Amino acid sequence: MNNQSSWRYTTLGILLTALAVFIVVQMLRIQLSPQAEALRDKGELYSGTWRTLTPARGQIYDRRGNLLAGSSTVYEVGVILAEVENPSTIALAMNAVVDADYDGVFAAASTEPSAEAVYATLARFVTGEQKQRLEQLSEEMNAAYGDRRDPSRPSLAGITFDPRLQRSYPEKDLASNILGFVNWEGQGFFGVEEKFNDELAGSPKRVWIPFDPNRVEEFPQVPQGTSLILTIDRVIQAEVEQIVENAIKESGSESVTILVMDPKTGDILAAATSPRLDLNEFWRYGEIFVDSTPFNRVVSETYEPGSVFKVLTMAAAIDGGAVKPKTSFLDTGSIEVGGTIIRNWNGGAWGPQDMLGCMQHSLNVCLAWVATELGANKFYQYMQDFSVGHLTGVDMAGESSGRLKLPGDEDWYEADLGTNAFGQGVAVTPIQMVMAVSALANEGQMVFPRIVLSMITDGRQYNTSPRISGTPISPKTAQRLTDMLATSLEVESSVALVEGYRVAGKTGTAEIPTPFGYTSNQTNASFVGWGPLDDPKFLVYVWLEKPTTSPWGSVVAAPVFRQVVERLVVLMNIPTDQMKEQLLEGQ
Amino acid sequence: MYRVQNITQAYSQAPWRKQLQWIGLFMLALIIVAMVAGIYLSVSAQASTAGREIQIMYAEMEKIRRNVEDMETQIAYLVSNSEMEKRAGELGFLPVESDEIFYILVPGYIKPGQANLAEPPGSTLPSIPTISPEYTQSLVDWLSERVFDPASPLIQEVEP
Repeated sequence: MNNQSSWRYTTLGILLTALAVFIVVQMLRIQLSPQAEALRDKGELYSGTWRTLTPARGQIYDRRGNLLAGSSTVYEVGVILAEVENPSTIALAMNAVVDADYDGVFAAASTEPSAEAVYATLARFVTGEQKQRLEQLSEEMNAAYGDRRDPSRPSLAGITFDPRLQRSYPEKDLASNILGFVNWEGQGFFGVEEKFNDELAGSPKRVWIPFDPNRVEEFPQVPQGTSLILTIDRVIQAEVEQIVENAIKESGSESVTILVMDPKTGDILAAATSPRLDLNEFWRYGEIFVDSTPFNRVVSETYEPGSVFKVLTMAAAIDGGAVKPKTSFLDTGSIEVGGTIIRNWNGGAWGPQDMLGCMQHSLNVCLAWVATELGANKFYQYMQDFSVGHLTGVDMAGESSGRLKLPGDEDWYEADLGTNAFGQGVAVTPIQMVMAVSALANEGQMVFPRIVLSMITDGRQYNTSPRISGTPISPKTAQRLTDMLATSLEVESSVALVEGYRVAGKTGTAEIPTPFGYTSNQTNASFVGWGPLDDPKFLVYVWLEKPTTSPWGSVVAAPVFRQVVERLVVLMNIPTDQMKEQLLEGQ
Repeated sequence: MYRVQNITQAYSQAPWRKQLQWIGLFMLALIIVAMVAGIYLSVSAQASTAGREIQIMYAEMEKIRRNVEDMETQIAYLVSNSEMEKRAGELGFLPVESDEIFYILVPGYIKPGQANLAEPPGSTLPSIPTISPEYTQSLVDWLSERVFDPASPLIQEVEP
């Protein structure tokens, strides 16, 4: 090798080395430049996709495990714009099968595909049957016109179906006021659906799904939303709802509400009211609940209870030592309390009465006197102990607290003591009344009403326990008043009596106040009762709003109570008192 | 001097033999590299296939979960109160009245209580299966684990 060749090789080596160094330097510069980070991020973006894993909404069951609220598969129908051949056919098919707006679908399917416009949604919440029909149509078109790409042939090419779960209610309108509903967006409204929306919905998780199968990662476990087991029994609920419907027809009432509770545990076995909504058609809510009609009267609507409230007044007076069952009272037909004259429901004077007579004849004058004998402070203390005017805390959305004016309040007058004593001038909800009366049916112990029996979360069932709210009266008072009310029904041969079973109860008829006072002829008719008296299993509250056939609770509400109890004893397997004795004797 | 040259020449290899040795060594290195690359490609392909299968299985799991939910609801529709009442009516059953019921005392009978739809708190639940690292590790990952953490078990047990 001569010197000239050596020089050439050396120069070439230097050049190649310089080139290599330059490449390395350039690589480092690109790697370390500020733009590199952005490019890497952009590259990462295209390497996979973010996906939100939404857990299935928790289910709702009745106390026997029957499904009241579950989930069904529905589909979002869309089109991949680049694959659309004939927007007109798609619009026609969507219009015919899912009743979608032709123009809207046509415009969406006709969108020119671009980097930004890849996919268009045509319809949401399409049922499985509708999806099948669309698929069938597509197949039929392909068979008739071939499946080659041709803009002139009728074709559903480009159409896609994305499945998802949507709330579904197998029992339709059964217990609709208790359950509430879930809208398209998955938000719960009313009832337990609203109250437990967060728990039922669960916690969605956002996860990164790489396209590169080598980077496949384990999906995080997204537990299903919490499921609920309610205290209601669907068979009792259905029977009571049927009785509500019948009562509306027979009494001409604006609405009827019936509440059935176990007085020992506070379990709400049925809570039926009107109107009701097929929860699978929740969009009809505005059509059914017009003019601020409450969705659930059981917890939301307050009203003056009238004479059923007398059981609380009498219980307070007996417990407070103001009167005894045999205390006599001369009813002259009127009494003045705080400057207001109070009269009986028929305006008459009932002469000498004991407390049993006062309750039996539902004498306003007597009860107003009883309240004055007890004294305002004690009377209102008892009413507060009975939780009147307070939220019960039952797990249904939209509970109202009602109102009990107290001495010292700006709008309280001495006359209120007299009127409150027979349930006028005080606003309660049906659930409040039931909670208060539970003290009488449960040996003085007042229970919190409960609608949720158990919660199932992470595969485990957590049962709730009955809770005692307080003991506003002694067991002796509860027993005395129960006997008084049972005797009272028996003496007057009330239509509330149920053959074979001893029950206690009280009717109520309350005038509905207007802005000008109690000037309307419309009433709230009600009945509260419980039984069997040796071991109470049910507490039933019946409320008829503005009955037209008769304004009296004893005429329209008492028979409804009997109908409810006649079904309850069958459905709850409660033998007659006599049969129970025979069974016990035979033991 | 001459003798030394003769001895060196006698023991030195022929130039063509040296070239052959170098070619042989180069080929050996090439074969080793090709083998490693082949194994790496094969394992990577297997891992990719497994990864893709896992992705498909996850999609399938989701579909099955949705179907289960859907079917539970469909069953609930079929046995809903109104449906059962209708079916009972068609079979000739009538609602029973209280005076038609005769109660008898059955010693030891326990009235059915509330529904139990899941395990009570505190009970042992089967653990959720996880993907074995064999399905997610690359050959390089596995080699680096062997190098830097040789004490780790060769096959990692996964909860069933």
